[in-house]
Amino acid sequence: MASKFGLAGGIPERRVRPIWDAIDSRQFKNALKHCTPLLSKYPNSPYALALKALVLERMGKAEEAFSVCLNAKELLYTNDSVLIDDLTLSTLQIVFQRLNHLDMATSCYEYACAKFPSNLDLMMGLFNCYVREYSFVKQQQIAIKMYKIVGEERFLLWAVCSIQLQVLCGNGGEKLLHLAEGLLKKHIASHSLHEPEALIVYISLLEQQSKYGDALELLTGKFGSLIMTEADRLRLQGRLLARGGNCAAATSIFQKVLELCPDDWECFLHYLGCLLEDDGSLCMGTKNDSTYPLKTMDSQVSHLTDEAFGSRLSSASSLVQKLLTEASDDTVRCPYLANIEIERRKLLHGKGDANKLMEALIEYFFRFGHLACFASDVETFLHILNLDKKTQLLEKLMECCEPIPTNPRKTLGQHITVFKIQNIVGSMFTLPLNELETTAVKMTQLYCENLPLSKDLDAQESMYGEDLLSMACNLLVQLFWRTRHIGYLVESIMILEFGLSVRRHIWQYKILLLHLYSHWNSLPLAYEWYKTLDVKNILLESVSHHILPQMLSSPLWADSTDILRDYLRFMDDHFRESADLTFLAYRHRSYSKVIEFVQFKERLQQSSQYMMAKIETPILQLKQKANNIEEEEGILESSKHGVQFLELSDEIGSKSLTFNEELQLRPWWTPTCDKNYLLEPFEGSSYCTRETLYDQIKQSQAKVVKTIEKRSLLPRMVYLSIQCASSSFKESVEANGVVFDPKLSSELRLLLDRYANILGFSFQDAVGLAFDISSGLKDSEAWSCNLIDWMNFLVFLNAWNLYSHEVDGDSNRHGTWLIVNSILKKHILDKVGSMGPLESSPGCDLPNLVLLVTEPIAWHILVIQSCARSLVPSGKRKKKGGPAENFNVQLSQELQESILSVCETIELVRQWLNQQIIKSDDYKSESILSSLLEEKEEGPGKVYRVVESLTSSSTSDVDFGDRITRALQSWSATDIARKIICSQRTALSNFLKICDSKIKSLQALKAHL
Amino acid sequence: MTTIRRFSCNDLLRFASVNLDHLTETFNMSFYMTYMARWPDYFHVAEAPGGRIMGYIMGKVEGQGESWHGHVTAVTVAPEYRRQQLAKKLMNMLEDVSDKIDKAYFVDLFVRASNTPAIKMYEKLDYVIYRRVLRYYSGEEDGLDMRKALSRDIEKKSIIPLKRPVTPDELEYD
Repeated sequence: MASKFGLAGGIPERRVRPIWDAIDSRQFKNALKHCTPLLSKYPNSPYALALKALVLERMGKAEEAFSVCLNAKELLYTNDSVLIDDLTLSTLQIVFQRLNHLDMATSCYEYACAKFPSNLDLMMGLFNCYVREYSFVKQQQIAIKMYKIVGEERFLLWAVCSIQLQVLCGNGGEKLLHLAEGLLKKHIASHSLHEPEALIVYISLLEQQSKYGDALELLTGKFGSLIMTEADRLRLQGRLLARGGNCAAATSIFQKVLELCPDDWECFLHYLGCLLEDDGSLCMGTKNDSTYPLKTMDSQVSHLTDEAFGSRLSSASSLVQKLLTEASDDTVRCPYLANIEIERRKLLHGKGDANKLMEALIEYFFRFGHLACFASDVETFLHILNLDKKTQLLEKLMECCEPIPTNPRKTLGQHITVFKIQNIVGSMFTLPLNELETTAVKMTQLYCENLPLSKDLDAQESMYGEDLLSMACNLLVQLFWRTRHIGYLVESIMILEFGLSVRRHIWQYKILLLHLYSHWNSLPLAYEWYKTLDVKNILLESVSHHILPQMLSSPLWADSTDILRDYLRFMDDHFRESADLTFLAYRHRSYSKVIEFVQFKERLQQSSQYMMAKIETPILQLKQKANNIEEEEGILESSKHGVQFLELSDEIGSKSLTFNEELQLRPWWTPTCDKNYLLEPFEGSSYCTRETLYDQIKQSQAKVVKTIEKRSLLPRMVYLSIQCASSSFKESVEANGVVFDPKLSSELRLLLDRYANILGFSFQDAVGLAFDISSGLKDSEAWSCNLIDWMNFLVFLNAWNLYSHEVDGDSNRHGTWLIVNSILKKHILDKVGSMGPLESSPGCDLPNLVLLVTEPIAWHILVIQSCARSLVPSGKRKKKGGPAENFNVQLSQELQESILSVCETIELVRQWLNQQIIKSDDYKSESILSSLLEEKEEGPGKVYRVVESLTSSSTSDVDFGDRITRALQSWSATDIARKIICSQRTALSNFLKICDSKIKSLQALKAHL
Repeated sequence: MTTIRRFSCNDLLRFASVNLDHLTETFNMSFYMTYMARWPDYFHVAEAPGGRIMGYIMGKVEGQGESWHGHVTAVTVAPEYRRQQLAKKLMNMLEDVSDKIDKAYFVDLFVRASNTPAIKMYEKLDYVIYRRVLRYYSGEEDGLDMRKALSRDIEKKSIIPLKRPVTPDELEYD
């Protein structure tokens, strides 16, 4: 906190210092004590009040703080003699902001600025307020005022950025850019230009208006030197030339950049794109913000004549040769890769020779084949080769892998690369089973044999050959998929666990493992590994997808709550602080970052995962409290009875959601959250092409939108169901003294309609289907992919019908109870009947079983509770006699029957769970291990034995170094098997507790009736 | 094969393969954004063909008089791109900006005293251990303050090692 002339907010600094010190050391009580004498000495000082408010807010006394702030504000407005300074206002601003009253802070500053129209400090404070409110127009106006007063370049740029924001993030038309341009031009004429970022903003402004010529003039004129790094200036120049259509000039500029930075691959692509005029790499205006880099180098076919094409490519080759000659060492790879790209372009133009491309690839392999990134470097080039050529290339690469005795690390690197290439060209998925297994064995052997290479490495450093175990795991999972032999799954887990016991920091293994454990219903173990990844801050947005969806369909409620809470806290914190950071960028004249920060905040606000988490959080709370209708109503009340989520559902279709998950870190068998190939039969290798992957991602994204739309209806439908059910009994109105609004019933009807539509049906058709399925006329297969949604629909339908009696007339009211009860029971029965023992049934449908109990059944129990409550109002005796009596007796009977039926249904689940839990852990872990131990010619176990023989050979002469030796000695597969069993038991026990509590609450209800 | 460019917010959503490394800290948003807002020329990312993030460096420039210096806050490379001198390229870039644009006297960095591989790497890049900072890391582990003199420090005064270790409160800049 600054002070001027020993005064702070008009008070001598020595009097306020104790308060500042106490606040800084978080001694708020002490700070508050100091406020009392200060305020008695300066009762009319807004600053003293603001300090008190600040302290109160920090102590959690929001209301008191707010009221003190309002007093201070009142004084500012009414008392002409009080001092208004930035210190007072900024202190008030902090408190108002923390109390979510940004508008109050803004009006204080607006008032102050009106009173002291030339005070720059206050105006900057007001600008800051507008930045916090994202009021771009007002930002612009106040910035212009400041500019007019002092004529400083920075204030003009603040205005220009505010204009750009109106166009890019607001609803300002593009002609505003012209206005901004005019302002800059005028300023330059009178004041020149001094800051590099100002130049960058000016150029971006011109680019946005497609005035490339003007931009170039500016850049190549006297201001160009503001960009001090020559290569950066040239890159910008090249881009402007290219976008302006001057390919020849752009080519020569990009050539200059390459001469300065020969390893700049992107620049080489720009160079080639301009040279061949095929525009392939010049989509520079559109930024690739996707977190899945599918960015290919798919250029259009050049329009040049063959002759021109040939001659231009030969000039590209000459440049590359020159760069190669000048390249001093092997750290510059771009020119070598450039040769491959040139061959690829020739092929695309129909003038190429695949053999030459292969030669270039092989040359690249000789030089860089040992590097871990070789395969991803060349991935794009492989796709242009046909299958024959790919096979030939692979064979040649294998031949090239001659052992280099002087450099075993290089040999190992090359071997790994060949395996990776084999994977990329898809041949791994066409291998017959025995070859697949042999390859997995080879990989594991290679890993084990080369462990000594890492003996002197620090435990923190990556070891040589770590990729081998990930690759072997991928093959074993494929074997598991194709043969359905669980032993392969066990093996894949074992080698990863083994790898982690050798070095525990390998995140690639952890990700694979957590997906394998999720698939095997060992979610607690999956979560343990996830936690070791230390996913926090922005990684919560890009990495949570590995665990969050599984957790949400699990009985691990506490952990799921933690994940959702941490994630939402991170996002909301960012939204709160983002504007302050934007202002920081303004203050430090990083104008391009201003725009970037605002756009980034918008990107996160539109995040599909964020939307999903926002709706899944209350649903999870509803699930947790569903046994107690009063608690459930408390939760619903906090979201305006679900209304606030309805708004989300309404808007979602018109919002353009962002998908920020880094999907490429997911294993091959589950490329998106909603896809798991292991749950489907193996049908050849066609799924693993890039195109399928791309389609899969698109489909999955479309599905997310629908899911959010659908899930956002849920809290409201639960609320309305409770309401409708509570009015199903005659007299309940008078008994409870609550008047039921029939509009609620119509609203539920509308929502049922929407829900059915999202499922692809009209309301009538959906109801018809339900009746047909319940009466056996149709198979419930139609529901299989949306089972939980359909069950939810039925439960809400019944609740609605309890009040409206509209489904097939009054006689069928009884019918909807029956339908729901019987269908729920049938599906539970189907599920538990089809699921084998967990330890031998990876991929079994435990998640859906959990969801059935924790969603539709839970909502159904709420409906029952609601009916029961209205039938037996608390503290009132039932009235006897009257016409409604008979009706209520019938209802009461239905209720009793429903309670009984739901109890029986949940009992089925309990029985299944108890059967699972009762078996001894030793028995289960032995059964897991036995799948590996059978020494058969065929079947799993071979890879495992490679590891086993390494860890059990106590007489080994090989020197692995202390650390690795210790890891080998302590390795135990039995421990891992036990961990899996224990984890499954934890999941089951959690589920059992949920079932127990539901039965208990139903029994209590029954006793009460 | 390295396109080195300024780090942008969108890179934060693509750097998991770098940051999942246990030695790479994922800071809070205001930390990254403060660096981007205040020292955009000291925050660079290296991109591989296909747009994959290879690694990044973040740093700042601060100090007064002869203490005006560049500082490396973090430099990190994804496992796939290690052992090909990428960290060196990124460091050279930051040194260049400190030297040529900001005319700093030296560049410094802090490293855990136990992180031998990193210390060795910095030594190869001509950094020397200037001083030991006692219990610098969470009050437990000592840190080493390593420095490299830039062209403005003609006599290389900035890197003459201190004879005694210092405590974190004695540090001029944190």
